[in-house]
Amino acid sequence: MLSPVPEPLVRFANVRKSYDGTVDAVSALNLEVARSEFLTLLGPSGSGKTTTLTMLAGFERPTEGRIFVDGEDVTDVPVEKRGIGMVFQNYALFPNMTVAENIAFPLRVRGVSRGEMNSKVMRALSMVRLDGFGDRRPQQLSGGQQQRVAVARALVFEPRLILLDEPLGALDRQLREQMQYELKHLHQRLDVTMVYVTHDQVEAMTMSDRVAVFSTGALRQVDEPRRLYEAPASLFVARFLGESNALPATVRQHDGGSCAAALATGETVTAVMPVRCAPGSAVHLVVRPEKILLGKAAQASPNRFAARIAEVTFLGDQTRLRLVAFGADDFIVKLANTAGQETFAPGTEIDIGWQAEDCRALAE
Amino acid sequence: MNRHHATGIVMAFAWMVLGFLALPAFAVVPISFTDTRYLAMPDEHWSLQHWRAFLSNREWHDSIWQSLWIACVSTLGAVVAGTLCAIGCWRASSRWSERVRTAMILPMAVPTIVYALGIYRLYVDLDLVGSAIGIVFAHTVTGLPYVVLTVSASLANIDPRLEQAARGLGASVGQTLRWVIVPNVVPGILSGAIFAFIHSWDELIVVIFIGGRAFFTLPRRMWDGINDNLDPVIAVVATGMILFTLLVLSAELALRARRPRS
Ligand SMILES: Nc1ncnc2c1ncn2[C@@H]1O[C@H](COP(=O)(O)OP(=O)(O)OP(=O)(O)O)[C@@H](O)[C@H]1O
Ligand SMILES: [Mg+2]
Repeated sequence: MLSPVPEPLVRFANVRKSYDGTVDAVSALNLEVARSEFLTLLGPSGSGKTTTLTMLAGFERPTEGRIFVDGEDVTDVPVEKRGIGMVFQNYALFPNMTVAENIAFPLRVRGVSRGEMNSKVMRALSMVRLDGFGDRRPQQLSGGQQQRVAVARALVFEPRLILLDEPLGALDRQLREQMQYELKHLHQRLDVTMVYVTHDQVEAMTMSDRVAVFSTGALRQVDEPRRLYEAPASLFVARFLGESNALPATVRQHDGGSCAAALATGETVTAVMPVRCAPGSAVHLVVRPEKILLGKAAQASPNRFAARIAEVTFLGDQTRLRLVAFGADDFIVKLANTAGQETFAPGTEIDIGWQAEDCRALAE
Repeated sequence: MNRHHATGIVMAFAWMVLGFLALPAFAVVPISFTDTRYLAMPDEHWSLQHWRAFLSNREWHDSIWQSLWIACVSTLGAVVAGTLCAIGCWRASSRWSERVRTAMILPMAVPTIVYALGIYRLYVDLDLVGSAIGIVFAHTVTGLPYVVLTVSASLANIDPRLEQAARGLGASVGQTLRWVIVPNVVPGILSGAIFAFIHSWDELIVVIFIGGRAFFTLPRRMWDGINDNLDPVIAVVATGMILFTLLVLSAELALRARRPRS
């Protein structure tokens, strides 16, 4: 017997949003969020992340398409009836209330009894490690503490879904990393579904079960961080997540999932082709800097080219080389700083190469 | 050195302007203690006779009472209507709400005598001249701009995300208003209330037009007193009014000082 496919907690079905009727802030969005998942919406500024989140929260109505939560069509359900917790970038704590009153707010509007309210607020306070801060005003807290109050307020009524829009944007780096860890920890402990917005790729990679990459209103790819990095489906995703070398080339012939493509400088390269392109079409050959083989190792690889070292930068845990190759001087190689790693000097002629499966032919 | 000099001159000038603005109002204080039978400075010695006359005069007492309750009721009206209007405009925040707000401030901009004439014409037709409802309504409308202005100023300081946050956490529109928006504009509402109260408390022109024979508020009785007989009791009443207004204004100042601002 087939096991039933679990219904996703959230489903965007062909959602489009246009604020002004001419430009789409979000277009043709089909996205699912699984129960207990930590999904991050990642993309450059103006790519439609906040718009997607506010449509799910109910502050904006999609121009087209439907949104489902728990199998129920919530497209026309008003904000306050959706039972979704939301954390804003600037926290949006109520300045006329104490910390405890802020956290109690969602319980108060639901008519929860005094006793239950108090015990829940206490529990939420200790969950975000703010015991004893209940009587303070939000203005008397540091940025990180305010952030934690906002999280506690979104958690306290045990919503099925919590949305966070760049919640750590205003914090300094150290606090950011600490809060990333704490949020992740809360997510695991409470078994709640979280949809998180950020434009910081490192944050997205470290926190998420899956990452959805947006650009100019379109969802480009959604996958686990590792697969997104190792197997980007487009040049945009490859460039947006981590560093990569992108060499312009023309497809000569293709065969299943791989192809042979000619570089502008004449060499022919074999590469993986996740999205099929017809012969003659322009692609970019993308290789991650840490996948490049040098010297002897390169001589054994199927793709082998001559290069010259232009610059060597020592970065502690790794060394970064800038090479002149393929008629340009911006080819990047990263070497892990392991024991016995040979050293390189600028000006040296050197062979470079890579395995066919580490090179991907991607359309623009 | 030079800077010091300049500061001194500016300060002296500021005090002169302040004196010029404020002192004439206080001229009535010594006059209220005059020993003469007409409005003048004390001649030979200071006397409490006009204060005594004022305290034993029924007509003045009636006027105080009338002024007080008219001011209270019309302040209440102005506060409720003005607050709702300001919040409505703030929430809608469109070109139209901007126009509505401007229209609300109109009673303040139009010369009072023009306004009074208009309202008199209207009240003659509606048979409202000399009625309590008529006066309270007129003072409510003319007090409205103060509330709209101060509440709008308070609202401008509120993060619009607060409303979104409240709604997102499950609050209805009513709960959001009651628990989040209104508490955050209370200082604006109170300031507006105080100004609306003072406005009604010393409003003269409209009352002259529509007060009829039944309504002699304090300012109107003073006006009549000045025209008929220069009775120094007027100076006594004026002194009392100044004291009362100062009291209300310092309440407003105290309120503003207590307000925490981020
Ligand atoms: N309220 C609005 N009215 C009109 N246009 C809007 C509104 N909100 C967003 N937009 C437009 O929609 C597009 C997507 O905006 P959105 O806020 O979703 O981007 P974002 O990915 O959250 O960016 P950021 O990282 O800068 O927050 C942008 O072009 C923006 O100008
Ligand atoms: Mg945004």
